[in-house]
Amino acid sequence: MKNVLHTIQQNKRLQAIVVGLYIVVTFFSLYLAQKSVVAFLLLLSSLLLLYFTTFSNRVKWLIGGVVMVVLLPLAASQGEAYQSYMEVATLVGIYIAMALGLNIVVGMAGLLDLGFVAFFALGAYTYGIFATGQANNFMPFGHYPLSGESFWVFIFIGCFVAALFGILLGVPVLRVKGDYLAIVTLGFGEIIRIIFNNLDKPVNITNGAMGLASVQPPRLFGIDFMYPNQFYYIVLVILITVIFAVRRLEFSKIGRAWKAVRENEIAAQAMGIHLVKTKLMAFAVGASFSGMMGVVFAAKQTFVDPTSFTLLESITILVMVILGGMGSVPGVILGAALVTILNLQVLTELTNWLNQLSLNGVINVPDALSPAKMQRFIFGVILILFALYRPQGLLPAKNPVFDEKDLKDADKLINAGVQKEATQHVHLDS
Amino acid sequence: MSILTVKNLTKQFGGLVANSNIDMEVQKGSITAVIGPNGAGKTTFFNMVTGVYQPTSGEILLNNESIVGLKPHQVTKKGIARTFQNIRLFGAITVLENVMVGMHNHLHGGLFSTILNLPRVRKEEKEARREAYRLLEYVGLESFYNEEASSLPYGAQRKLEIARALATKPKVLLLDEPAAGMNPKETSELTKLIYNMREELDLTIVLIEHDMKLVMEISEHIVVLDHGEKIAEGTPDDIRNNEKVIEAYLGKGAATTAS
Amino acid sequence: MINEVLHTLPQVLIDGLTLGAVYAIVALGYTMVYGILELINFAHGEIFMTGAFVGTAILLTFAGFGWLASMPALVALVLVLVVTSVVTGLLGMGIERVAYRPLRNAPKLITLITAIGVSFLLQDIVRFIAELKNGNYILTGPSLFSGQIGIKASSISSIFNDASVKSSFFIVLIVAVIMMVTLDFFVNKTKWGMAMRAVAQDRETAALMSVNVNKVIALTFFIGSALGGATGVLFAIQYGTIDPYIGFILGLKAFTAAVLGGIGNIRGAMFGGILIGIMEMFAAANLPVISHGVLGAEYKDVFAFAILIIVLIFKPEGLFGKVSIEKV
Repeated sequence: MKNVLHTIQQNKRLQAIVVGLYIVVTFFSLYLAQKSVVAFLLLLSSLLLLYFTTFSNRVKWLIGGVVMVVLLPLAASQGEAYQSYMEVATLVGIYIAMALGLNIVVGMAGLLDLGFVAFFALGAYTYGIFATGQANNFMPFGHYPLSGESFWVFIFIGCFVAALFGILLGVPVLRVKGDYLAIVTLGFGEIIRIIFNNLDKPVNITNGAMGLASVQPPRLFGIDFMYPNQFYYIVLVILITVIFAVRRLEFSKIGRAWKAVRENEIAAQAMGIHLVKTKLMAFAVGASFSGMMGVVFAAKQTFVDPTSFTLLESITILVMVILGGMGSVPGVILGAALVTILNLQVLTELTNWLNQLSLNGVINVPDALSPAKMQRFIFGVILILFALYRPQGLLPAKNPVFDEKDLKDADKLINAGVQKEATQHVHLDS
Repeated sequence: MSILTVKNLTKQFGGLVANSNIDMEVQKGSITAVIGPNGAGKTTFFNMVTGVYQPTSGEILLNNESIVGLKPHQVTKKGIARTFQNIRLFGAITVLENVMVGMHNHLHGGLFSTILNLPRVRKEEKEARREAYRLLEYVGLESFYNEEASSLPYGAQRKLEIARALATKPKVLLLDEPAAGMNPKETSELTKLIYNMREELDLTIVLIEHDMKLVMEISEHIVVLDHGEKIAEGTPDDIRNNEKVIEAYLGKGAATTAS
Repeated sequence: MINEVLHTLPQVLIDGLTLGAVYAIVALGYTMVYGILELINFAHGEIFMTGAFVGTAILLTFAGFGWLASMPALVALVLVLVVTSVVTGLLGMGIERVAYRPLRNAPKLITLITAIGVSFLLQDIVRFIAELKNGNYILTGPSLFSGQIGIKASSISSIFNDASVKSSFFIVLIVAVIMMVTLDFFVNKTKWGMAMRAVAQDRETAALMSVNVNKVIALTFFIGSALGGATGVLFAIQYGTIDPYIGFILGLKAFTAAVLGGIGNIRGAMFGGILIGIMEMFAAANLPVISHGVLGAEYKDVFAFAILIIVLIFKPEGLFGKVSIEKV
């Protein structure tokens, strides 16, 4: 097995054939067997296969882009399940962006934030309030709801509002010593939810527990975005932006400062790093991803209420980060995809299947054990097992590997930059 | 000319007086050693100079400018760098990146210019990598540059701490027991390195060290602390023959220190 | 407005004292574990919840066999308390052994994450056992001490309204006081208590003094969890209805109490618990009055968290704790 992998590793042409074949086969399986969730998932996991190849980053992005932009929607579009596939893919994208945000806070800066969903809520409410009649209750000017064209601006507003609150919450919270931070952020997450739940008086801002209904759909060139296949592309664009941003930050002065603070606060300070500023930036950047996706979420669901933003959601995002690998961008993407698909597809499918079996009298599974209810159990087990046995996650974080020539020779400026391919084999071998 | 001046410096933790009325002048370009038995208050003294602890009273002047009340990162910016007695590397990142963290304040890439990957950020990063590699070459760790810092052998970790401190471009470098845990060969290399740094990098070096051979060999000026007080200072020869010092290390002082 | 606040004061004090006693004992579990391991044992709230379920299950079984009617209520109570504390005590020890001990030298972040995992796991295990046996995870136990006693506070001063208490109030209070006094005695006056304090102060030195550190830590978990579980029983008796999710928020508030009293300080935790209980009840009764209806009673939780955050920022050592200095 090791040998086979090694040969494949050496041979790029072979890799191209394997990946190409895999994509073609899964594409047609999904194209022809529309009801097959398995085919959908297999096509999606071609990206994982792509990750393990030794192609250059540009080629990987290109192939991945073609799969995501063209092949996946096309293959899925041939039957009734189209919208539900796209719904899943959209939600996967939303959660990946959030998990990448939390990864900056927990994985890179080492700050355990248990109230992360609060920023998602802020984004969702920011758009929800102004894209429904709700804002008429307290805004002295303007007429609401704002049209769906404002959605595009609100992505940035949501990003900004969440970042701002990240800083506002961070200023007091980050003065708290290390392990207390977890409990304080948990408290803050609950406070925000309770406030949204009760802010229907004295002035009705959030409509309390009733939530905000019929949020305006996004509109572009006169087209309303109402279906998951349309939201899919919005999410894809934001997600790719987010991934690029995280990647660049990770290997920059800022990312190094985050990691330094995580590894040793006192030494980081002795290197001239402003602790509070560095942590606040992690909070703000992480929060901003959530805020953007909150806006998209509000528009997609057309309904916002406080029950979407519970502690369970915060922990779900944490599970994604731990499962994938703290501090590892590819890992967290994988973790978020796995957990979201587990939540949306696997558990419901399993439940349906078990119900079917009980109906036919094959076995009798009591309702209490229905997989759809077992989220907490599964998350608990994942957290414990990974913390105990694989704290670095499924795809551990990698350090940048530099080329010695690039460091020594001032004249050869070509091949500059981080070379990540060199460490790929470490992974396949293990 | 005195680059670092300390006047009446006192630190109390509750009832415990860790440093009491310490006066000291460090000449620019000198190598000064702070010695004393365990628990004499040497590291506390370093911690006050670098802003980790706030002094209970007293003055610390860097180039005649007070640095009391500054946060550790501000002290670093002013030009004082340090290493730690109990090694504090950034264990999970590479050796090269450890040094690059030291350049934090000399890099200007902001949040947005980094996300946009502007050419000047790319150029700056590239130069930073080169500079970091040069520093690693200087301390003799260049072959480890891609390794995780925590995987380095002990002596190399101490050297990496020095390289990382140099990356902040200090005027004054504080070394807290740089030779602790090193074998004789490593210690003699280190001695040479410390000497060279002062000669080549326009540095002033203050070091805490228990290895008397090293101390006597390279320092021009020695300050002796015992029970938080300065009991003697002078050239290596002065100190060698100072009765109070001998008493602190061997005489009745030794008995009380052990308790 | 002040009159209105004063009217309800007797009732607020009684309710606050009851809730505060619960917080105080749960806080003990947090403070003991934190004192010894510097770990926020997120699962402690769930131990409390498990205790409530175990106790209720035992009571329901008794009632099912018709024993409850023939047994003096106090005997039933003592029996349930003893069985439940042993069960939850062992549970706590087991959790320490399986989930925390292997990580004793790991970064704190990792241990905190396991603690959250354990907490979620317990919630769901209790949920599906309850649901399996009962068809519903919300459980109402048989009422043991449900007599109402009126307190004529108005006879002290006409400004007070009369208050009423369930007779279980006295049970909760008395049992709570007994547990706290016993623990205080245990920690301060016995050999094992001294070992515990020694390990909390310096684990390595304690080990050198031939204290069996693992045993002491296991014992700490056993005692903390036994107390937490027993408090769960008291909670179930006092408030009637329980569900698997009562532990988390209650645990958080009990942790607040522990921090308020100075983490690691046992008497501080007791005091903090009572204080938080009374303040919360005061907030629940009076926030709507003081703010003219703008802030509903639901903000009482916000109030409790706000205390936590304020204490941690301005006085992280708590009311009775010592300032700690990080060694560099």
